[in-house]
Amino acid sequence: MRWARIACALVALCMIAPSPARAQFIDLGDLVGKAKNAHGALHTIGEDEEIRIGGGLAGLILGAAPLVNNPAEQRYVNEVGRWLALHSERPALPWKFGVIDSSDVNAFSAPGGYVLISQGLFDRLRNESELAAVLGHEISHVVRKHQIKALQKSMGNALLGDVGRTATGGQGGLTGTLTSGLINSGRTMFMRGLDKEDEFEADRMGVVIAARSGYSPYGLVGVLQTLSAAPTTGAFALMFATHPPATDRIERLGSAMGTRLDGLTGVVDDLPSFVALRNPPPPPPPPPAPAKASPARRKRAHS
Amino acid sequence: MRRALTLIVLACVTVPSTAADATERGVVIRNGDIKVQPFLDAAPAGNVAANDAVTIVDRKGGWVQVQAAGKTGWIRTLNIRLAATDGAVAHQTSVASAASMLRTGSSGKTVTTGVKGLGEEDLRNASVNLAELDKLGTLAVDPGEATADAQKKGLKESQIDYLAKGGKK
Repeated sequence: MRWARIACALVALCMIAPSPARAQFIDLGDLVGKAKNAHGALHTIGEDEEIRIGGGLAGLILGAAPLVNNPAEQRYVNEVGRWLALHSERPALPWKFGVIDSSDVNAFSAPGGYVLISQGLFDRLRNESELAAVLGHEISHVVRKHQIKALQKSMGNALLGDVGRTATGGQGGLTGTLTSGLINSGRTMFMRGLDKEDEFEADRMGVVIAARSGYSPYGLVGVLQTLSAAPTTGAFALMFATHPPATDRIERLGSAMGTRLDGLTGVVDDLPSFVALRNPPPPPPPPPAPAKASPARRKRAHS
Repeated sequence: MRRALTLIVLACVTVPSTAADATERGVVIRNGDIKVQPFLDAAPAGNVAANDAVTIVDRKGGWVQVQAAGKTGWIRTLNIRLAATDGAVAHQTSVASAASMLRTGSSGKTVTTGVKGLGEEDLRNASVNLAELDKLGTLAVDPGEATADAQKKGLKESQIDYLAKGGKK
């Protein structure tokens, strides 16, 4: 079975296609050699490998939904996200945050510090502490390497490491090639979700990362309440298919929180920075009618 | 002609925001007091019973202000379950909804339907978008910029341990 998997992996490695953006060549002989050793001892996925793997997977999500063309919103989410990440155990990762152009409600993260939130979810947040909660949850997945664990399970540890080392790095963490094996495993991971216990752990960690950063730890409870009242179909379908039921998450999170974080002082729920993006100024009024107002109208206007 | 065009645009903007300005409604999970202020040791403002329907007026930290049977008071957020919605957003304003509807993607194409799904099928058919990945890289801010922004907002840092399952530390 293991050799069959290695053979499949070799086929996948041979199918590597150069990036249309920046074609780069890799040493296939070296790849094959590494793949042959895939049945060997487990090894740790290094940070560089993690970032390269994550770049490919983030690129896959962006292939399904590109970034929203709103520089102010993207900047804002990066400022909030990076501040939160500084209060995690991996502050030095090259964290990148983005709002993706989908009206569906979801958020994704990928190894190495990639976090994407859909515009549909952003629009349903009540305040900045809820945004901090969502980003804190996703940051926690990256910090605990939940995606790496899922990929190791589906691909095999050694092979995943080989893919990570082989993918050529660049500004986005990936500029050259990735194996179709990695992309397909990532695709399945995004469609099936992570381990449910990992989701519960990310909930518990996310509220603490938010609170460490100065936000109310109850933002996530608000988000989960929104989800618990939503239908499991339509814009929420993939999110619900890949996460435990929101009511279950609230119950477990509430049990873990108790009143432990209630004594925090100075934490904020909302800030003008969020309000400005959530409630943009109304469109300008239509230009005045070219016709002159009647005397009666003028009179009313001055009364 | 211009007026007609304006009316058409306004119609496109306002019609789909079905739940705009709707109020959030919830159900009490367990019997207890509602408080005059959002604190555990605040004076009681009345009692609520499990399954009582409430209207949510405000939120503050771990508390929501509710109206129930003529009484108004604060109750812990965790003691409230939101009533099911039809999927529309109770707290979303019509303006925000309209802005979302008209937002354009990075492709520059104008969104007219407001529906851009991201389901299993979209993921199954997706391929890696390196141009967008590079763009994502250009959006990142460094720790200094993020810290300056947080200081400007007055965010206060705390040292807090992670929570254990079930509340055991």
